[in-house]
Amino acid sequence: MTPGTKRARFHWLDLVVLTTVIGFVVYVFYRVDSVLVYRWDWSVIPGYLFRWDEETESYAANLLVRGLITTIRISFWALILASVLGVLLGVARTSSRLLPRLIAWGYVEFIRNIPPVPFLFLFYFFISSQIIPLLGLRDAVESAGPNGQAVLAVLFGPANLIENFASGLISLAMMSAAYIAEIVRAGIQSIPRGQYEAGHSVGLSSREILRQIVLPQAIQRVVPPLAGQFITLIKDSSLVALISIQELSFLAMEIAISEQRFFEVWLTVGLMYFVVCYACAIAFGWLERRMGRHLR
Amino acid sequence: MTATLDDLGAAPLRPARRPRAWWQAPWVDVVQFLLLAGALFWLAWRGANAIDYRWQWSRVPAFFYREIDGEIIWGPLIWGLQVTLYIAAWGLVLTLAIGLVVAILRLSDSLSGRILSRVYLETIRNTPLLVQVSIFYFVLQPILGINNPLWTGILCLAFFEGAFASEIMRAGINAVPRGQWEASQTVGLSRAGAYRYIVLPQALPLMLPPLTGILVNLIKHSAILSFVAVFELTTEARNLIGDTFMSFEIWFVVGAMYLVITMTLSAGVSWLERRVAAKR
Repeated sequence: MTPGTKRARFHWLDLVVLTTVIGFVVYVFYRVDSVLVYRWDWSVIPGYLFRWDEETESYAANLLVRGLITTIRISFWALILASVLGVLLGVARTSSRLLPRLIAWGYVEFIRNIPPVPFLFLFYFFISSQIIPLLGLRDAVESAGPNGQAVLAVLFGPANLIENFASGLISLAMMSAAYIAEIVRAGIQSIPRGQYEAGHSVGLSSREILRQIVLPQAIQRVVPPLAGQFITLIKDSSLVALISIQELSFLAMEIAISEQRFFEVWLTVGLMYFVVCYACAIAFGWLERRMGRHLR
Repeated sequence: MTATLDDLGAAPLRPARRPRAWWQAPWVDVVQFLLLAGALFWLAWRGANAIDYRWQWSRVPAFFYREIDGEIIWGPLIWGLQVTLYIAAWGLVLTLAIGLVVAILRLSDSLSGRILSRVYLETIRNTPLLVQVSIFYFVLQPILGINNPLWTGILCLAFFEGAFASEIMRAGINAVPRGQWEASQTVGLSRAGAYRYIVLPQALPLMLPPLTGILVNLIKHSAILSFVAVFELTTEARNLIGDTFMSFEIWFVVGAMYLVITMTLSAGVSWLERRVAAKR
């Protein structure tokens, strides 16, 4: 009788579930067909996924696919930046001195207790008006030469959008760093005391213990949750659409409005996110099982 | 503040300490921290002044309330706060209902129940909330004929948080020892009876602290509804900024409002956690 232990079988509950699901689907079709009299038109979607390029005579990615690529790019770089920041903050959280602990604690609590949307709006002002001009990105890209520019375009997207891309990336990374810091802290604190004591007994300094004994082990432990954070980042990157970063959700909004095809566009975009995130989840799960093999 | 100094991450064990110099005392760190925070604020203030920003803090109280002829008239920020809390309250009720149903379906012997709950969980987990809000607002709202964006928003948030609530509840139900199920079967209770009289009452204290965390998330995530014309706190803030161009003052104030609410709730969560841990 313990739940979830028996093999699934047909049950009176199946009757309830199936009736509800079928009833819901029938109701939706009835409403769409007879009440809203909505005529589905999926033919606009493929044109936004790929377009025929006259110059190169081949198919090229169009807005939605380019948006998805931007989303993945922004999540990838944000994950790297956030990991660096997050490891620093995580180490600071476990420091023996109060000052680094206070700083890291203040940062983490501040980010975790303010909703992402107001945070993004607030920081976008600072980042776009203060940090971005300081970085001088536009000049850096222009001075890179044609080959360098091609490489940069693959890594960071089109040059004219680089500042837009960077401000989205930095805001996302700052948000994610707080969560990564907590993951890293948990990783460091999971290292048994004996490791520290062993380090001291062979005469290592605290810094050497951290660098050569604790961090290598802790990082190995936090790789699986960090991979999970990548999926979270892909999902959270949709929020930067609100500050006009041109990734998948932002382009979806624009296309849905210009084509007046809200149903088709949003369902397609939802499916695109789902496919990417679900594929990542499966891949990370498989990797985790493989990596865990030598530990068993 | 919710955390004591111990919660800030205990320092790893180290060999016997040498006597500390005065500049190694904790209060020096606190002073340094405060100085640093002050420096950050000063930088932000200078940055705003550099773009010729005109601070108008004196206008802020009017966004909370105004007193006209001895009568208090609430301002937009208070309305927004009310709507946010309304969303969180009803969202919590619906979230708990959805979570419980999904958790029970997932633990049931019924094949379609397991499949349905699995599909629901994976869909919610693998798509962004913003896209879910869009689909609820642009697709499901007209199809289902809901003519109130506020309730579309509440429903969407409830379905989103329901996925997390159901996982918490499943863990809570699974944490009840097997013997309890067997005992309830022995005394002749049906499965529904076992859930109602034996298992859920025992699982509830375990689930309570993480479920309160869901309330915090509901408040945080309700800000996303500003995307679809639900007049909660963030929307009111954005409208006010559109009217007055006082972006810094308003975002600081609204950020502080969220901070106070969520930190108070988080403090409540850790208090509950400690109580539950002490009882076990």
